[in-house]
Parts: sequence; structure tokens; C-alpha cells
Amino acid sequence: MMRIKEHPILDFSKERKIIRFTFNGQEVYGYEGDTIASALSALGVKEFSVSIKHKRPRGFYCAIGNCSSCHMIVDGVPNVKTCITLLKEGMKVETQTNKGELYDLK
Amino acid sequence: MKASYVIIGAGISGCSIAYNLAKKGVKDIIVVEKHYLTAGATGRCGAGVRQQWGTEMNCRLAKASIDFFSIAKDELGYQGDIEFKQEGYLIVAVNEEEDKQFAKNVILQNSLGIPSRKITKEEAKEIVPHLNTDVILSATFCPTDGHLNPFTMTDAYYQAAKRLGVTFLFREEVKSIVVKNDKIEKVITTNHEIHTSNVINAAGGYAKEIGDMVNVAIPVYAERHEILVTEPVEKIQGPMVMSFGMNIYCQQVPHGSFLMGRSNPFEKPSHNIESSWQFLDEMAKTVCTLLPPIGNLRVIRQWAGSYNMSPDRQPIIGTTDLPGFYVACGFSGHGFMFAPMTGLLLSEIILGEPLTIDITDLHIDRFKTARDIVIEKSVV
Repeated sequence: MMRIKEHPILDFSKERKIIRFTFNGQEVYGYEGDTIASALSALGVKEFSVSIKHKRPRGFYCAIGNCSSCHMIVDGVPNVKTCITLLKEGMKVETQTNKGELYDLK
Repeated sequence: MKASYVIIGAGISGCSIAYNLAKKGVKDIIVVEKHYLTAGATGRCGAGVRQQWGTEMNCRLAKASIDFFSIAKDELGYQGDIEFKQEGYLIVAVNEEEDKQFAKNVILQNSLGIPSRKITKEEAKEIVPHLNTDVILSATFCPTDGHLNPFTMTDAYYQAAKRLGVTFLFREEVKSIVVKNDKIEKVITTNHEIHTSNVINAAGGYAKEIGDMVNVAIPVYAERHEILVTEPVEKIQGPMVMSFGMNIYCQQVPHGSFLMGRSNPFEKPSHNIESSWQFLDEMAKTVCTLLPPIGNLRVIRQWAGSYNMSPDRQPIIGTTDLPGFYVACGFSGHGFMFAPMTGLLLSEIILGEPLTIDITDLHIDRFKTARDIVIEKSVV
């Protein structure tokens, strides 16, 4: 786990609600208040997507929704900015290995 | 400094003219550009190339230009990738008038060797599955129309022209052109005085202002046209999808992004190239109606460029009343796709060679005479 447990100023002692989700089919969990990316990061996941041309691994980078490095497929929708999307119970999160298939919101 | 010809503007037209003249052996050509390569309309355009036109002249110019694009990489000896994608244009008819007109257009196009065909909306949906066929009546499709990267395509001309000895002056603005006794003496730029007796006006949106410098009135004006690009996704759309009635063109480029634009019918002539929220609003509504799934994509950026509009929406190419002053302007949004022929034909006119395509009808004098001009209607 990469979570900070003790901090001189911030208080991390309060118990937070556990949020369960799946990552590439595997059942995992994060905490209430996590973004998808922060939960994955805490789980030690470093590869979120791949670069467009050379398909090199891409991970948590700008963390403010600008860089597109954390684009993942969430509940079937590609190119979700996981660093600014809050984690929700039962989310299906998958590594994205292409530019994303244009989907139909019906 | 001295030049045999001064070309004003380093967009694709200016570069193509420079290349063609140099290839025919002309020495001491100087291209003067106010900003940088492709800074004007070329670098801002949708870069689609099509042969589906309503006038014979545009059909001929477009076909010959596309024939060139298909061999441009080898012909120009270019190391980069011009990204020529030849997957057609699907032009949809959204009302009875267009449906009838397109049938006529296809007959004209076919007679000129352009392999376009009129298709039903069901056939159109097979070509572009995410097309909303509820809003169209029929379509025409030409498989050899396509799309290029305007930056690398212009660079290909630029590199080839430079190898042939053409000099390019960037970040230099033409301030005035000195004419004495109906003869051009020199071109004065921000940095140089270039002695020359020949000037070629390929200044795009600023073509009128260049004409005014030598008292040649060119009946053109600049008009802002806006465009946007989305985030990239995997390829789902081969051809450019276009509608004149709905006022949209939309293409997925090889990178995966969608480029789309439309005209503002209330746009006033000006050099304004700012982006507007109104365009974003109208563009989004239009594309979501015609190609609904694209509405799920994020817009990455929007920008604008100047069309150089002529009274009949056809180019003005050729000589003028002032000896040694040539024009290649008024393309009305289609200078990129005609550029190979612009360069070839203007070089033939300048050097007095027989013309590959007779473009007498594109001479500026057509606006002086009372005869009816043929207006191109197939324009977005």
C-alpha cells in the first residue's frame, strides 16, 4: 500500500468507507473520496493506458485531467480521465490499449 | 536583392507555383511570407480533396490535382509522410433540390472521368455506419476523393522548391510594390528591397490588399471560417462526410481525431480569425444530428482561417491588366485541393506554354464582362 497513514498536519486516522470495484476483472477496493487513479495508484497499479504510436505504458502523470495519460475504459466507456473521476461502488475499470472505440450512448 | 519572380505568400499555392516555375528552369525566384510556412489558410484548412463539384472547371482542376497528390511523395522526392488518405467523400443530399442537383453533378463528373456515383441512403449507411439516415434523402460518393496533411504536403513542395534553388523569406511582410510606367520595378518588404519585374499574388486572405498595392482591383474578400478537432479514437470513418444543406464537413484523420467545420451564413468580410462559442454551439448541434456518436467525443481545440472569396466561388488565376502581375487567389475555401494545378497552370501561363487545362475562364477579366458567370454551389 502506498497510502500515507500518518501526517504532521493532515488527519488520516478517521476510518473511510470502502468502495469495491474491479480492475481488469479482478475485485479490488479503494476508499470513499478516492479518484479511480488514486485508488489504483494505492494498489500499486502503474500502467493505465498505452501511448498512441508506440504503445508504450502510460500511467498516473498530471493528475489534473490535462495529459490524457490516465485514460482508461470505465464501465465500457473509453478515454475516461481516471485522475479526475471519483471512484464509485461496482465500477468496472479496464486498462486501455488503443485510442478507444467510439461508443454509442443509447 | 534581385528576383526574376517574387511570389507573395508561402501557403500551398505559393509553394506550388514556386516549385513548378523552378522545375521549368526559372532561376532567382523569391517567395516572401509575412509569417511562416502554412501560417495562413493552408495550415488552418480541413485539407479534404474532392472531385465532386458542380462546375466543369472545378471538376477538371480537382481531378488533375488529386492525380498529382497520389504521386506527390515520389514526384517531389519527399522524405516525410503527406498522409494521403483516399477513402472518398460522401456528400449527403438533405432536400429534393440537392437530390436533383447531385444527380446532374454525377453525370457531369462521370463525363470527366470522375468515378462518383449516386447512392441510396441505405448504401450510404454501409459506407458510414454511424450516419443518421433519418435526416438525408440520398448521397453521392466518390471513392478517389480524400484527405492529406496540409503541413507535410506544403512542406513537400517547399523542400522540393528549395532544392531547385528557390529562396524563401519568412517573417517578412510586403509593404509596397513600386510600379513605374505600367512596369513593376521592385517589391519593398520589411527587410529588403527586391528588384523584380514580376510579382505573383498568392496571398490568400490578403490577396485584395496586395492587388491594391499595384492598383489592380481584385474582386475578392476574406471571410472567417471556423473549424474544430476532437480527441482521437480508433478509426470508424473512412470518407469525409459533407452536407451543403446542413452546412457541415467532417473527416476522421489518420491520427484518429475528427476535423469538422461549417460556414456562418452571416459572417461579414474581415480578417478576423478568432474562435467563437457560437461556432462550437452550431457545429456540435449539426454533427450530433448527422453523425450522432461523434457527440461523445471531447473537443480538443478550435480555430479559424480566412477563405478568400470570389464572386463566383471559383479561383482567379492568370495575368492582370498590369504586365508582370499575376494572381492565384479567390479560391473560396478550396485553394489547398487545387494547389497542384494552380502551380502547374500558372507556371504555364507565365512561361507562355500550352495549358494542360484551359483555364481562360478563370481569368480576372471574367468579372469585367456582362456575360453570366457560373457560380459554384457545391461549397461549405
